[in-house]
Amino acid sequence: MGRHVICRAEDLQPGAVRIVEAEKRSIGIFNIRGEFFALRNTCPHKGAPLCRGIITGLVVSDEPLQMQIIRDGEIVRCPWHGWEFDITSGRSVYNPHRMRVKAYDVAIEQVPDEDPSVETYSVQVQDDYVVLYI
Amino acid sequence: MQVEKTLPRPAQKKQDLYIVDTDVHHGVSGWTDLYPYLPQVYAERLRDHGGSGPSSQYWHNGGIRGTRADFFDMDDTQESTRRQLLDDCEINIAILTGSTAYGACSMPDADLGSAICRAFNDYSLEHWVASDERFRLAMAVNSQDPIGMAKEIDRIGSHPAVIAIIMPGGATKPYGNRVYDPIYEACERNRLAVMIHFNGEGVGINGPPTAAGWPSHYVEGRMMRAPVYMAHMASYIFEGAFEKFPGLRVVNIEAGFAWMPWYLWRMDSDWKALRYQVPWVKKPPSEYVKEHIRLNTQPIDEPDNERDLEKIIEWMHGDQTLLFGSDFPHFDFDDPRKTLTRLPNKLRQRIFGESALETFHKLGRPE
Repeated sequence: MGRHVICRAEDLQPGAVRIVEAEKRSIGIFNIRGEFFALRNTCPHKGAPLCRGIITGLVVSDEPLQMQIIRDGEIVRCPWHGWEFDITSGRSVYNPHRMRVKAYDVAIEQVPDEDPSVETYSVQVQDDYVVLYI
Repeated sequence: MQVEKTLPRPAQKKQDLYIVDTDVHHGVSGWTDLYPYLPQVYAERLRDHGGSGPSSQYWHNGGIRGTRADFFDMDDTQESTRRQLLDDCEINIAILTGSTAYGACSMPDADLGSAICRAFNDYSLEHWVASDERFRLAMAVNSQDPIGMAKEIDRIGSHPAVIAIIMPGGATKPYGNRVYDPIYEACERNRLAVMIHFNGEGVGINGPPTAAGWPSHYVEGRMMRAPVYMAHMASYIFEGAFEKFPGLRVVNIEAGFAWMPWYLWRMDSDWKALRYQVPWVKKPPSEYVKEHIRLNTQPIDEPDNERDLEKIIEWMHGDQTLLFGSDFPHFDFDDPRKTLTRLPNKLRQRIFGESALETFHKLGRPE
């Protein structure tokens, strides 16, 4: 399992996504209201860059012609063909048990400035960093 | 420009496939782009009253305004198309199918519609076709002005990169009707195919998009595509258009294809029973289709078992009738590297390139 320090937590704001290369994989890291999640940036349907899709909520309906958006910001809609995935789990909306994209663990950690995986600019010991685990 | 003689080679391709993409969308960045190509009276009218003609009413499309969300913010769509589609997907020939002028066919003012088609054609040749030898143009034609458009086809139809005309699916009469004869005569003179692209149903001067009236949602609109092409196809065959115009080739874009076997069987059955009412139809409709009518693969049909597609393609004589199209850069884009990958290689070669080279009279075979 690889550990990858990605960026300062403050550099990935709520609602934003950052796409990184790690261990030859393209991975999207999302900040949803201060919680961080990571998905493989490859749609299981046709291989599109999933994490470059529209970040939106889950549109739900209790009865025909009524609808609302819940869980705003927790769904990514693939830029090709529009398949929707739950950013927090990688599960698809249309068939969560059988169609999913790989999700990775993300932690917020205080990284000491001697950590060799961090670029060499001056780092405050107290800074929070986004850390991706593959 | 010696396009026909200098077809790009499939030299360093990773896959042994010569690819003709029959559906690559191009357009203007705004109506002002067309002003230099319009007569001053029309340029001023668009300036003063707005340009957008009637188009699909179902504009709540997928992606972002119909386009791939990962492509939408590209600054230069022409350069991006060359890089992201032609280079990355190793496309040998890309047929530009527009979008800008589709609304012209349903405008109440037919002369304005024709002026927009002419302007968009000139714009397309200058800004798109001239930029890359892999581009070919399906020139915009205003279907409600057959005589005027015959002149337009004669004006630019001999340009080596112009290989087809394109009209939207929405029309006042289905396209086999005799009112369109001047367009097809001009296509024959200039060796151009006819392409039909879904758009304009139920808008402007056209009738409702279905005989059942107006559906509410974009997704319902997508379900109406095949019936629109069925109507045009029956019209071409039973009006005798292919008897009148033996060189006529009709390519139907963006309605999928898995419905086609049933339609061929249905037409052949009904022809046996009702041939006596249309005696100029000399052979089973499916025979006309094999020679004259093509569907493209877009949007790709996805049965539960992908291998079932091979049977469907066999039933529709898809080694002749099915042509690849990507629909770039729209949200339901089909990447050729991910499309119909389970088919036998020989059949893939037919669908991705060879059949198109045979269908479009002006696409020569690569040396």
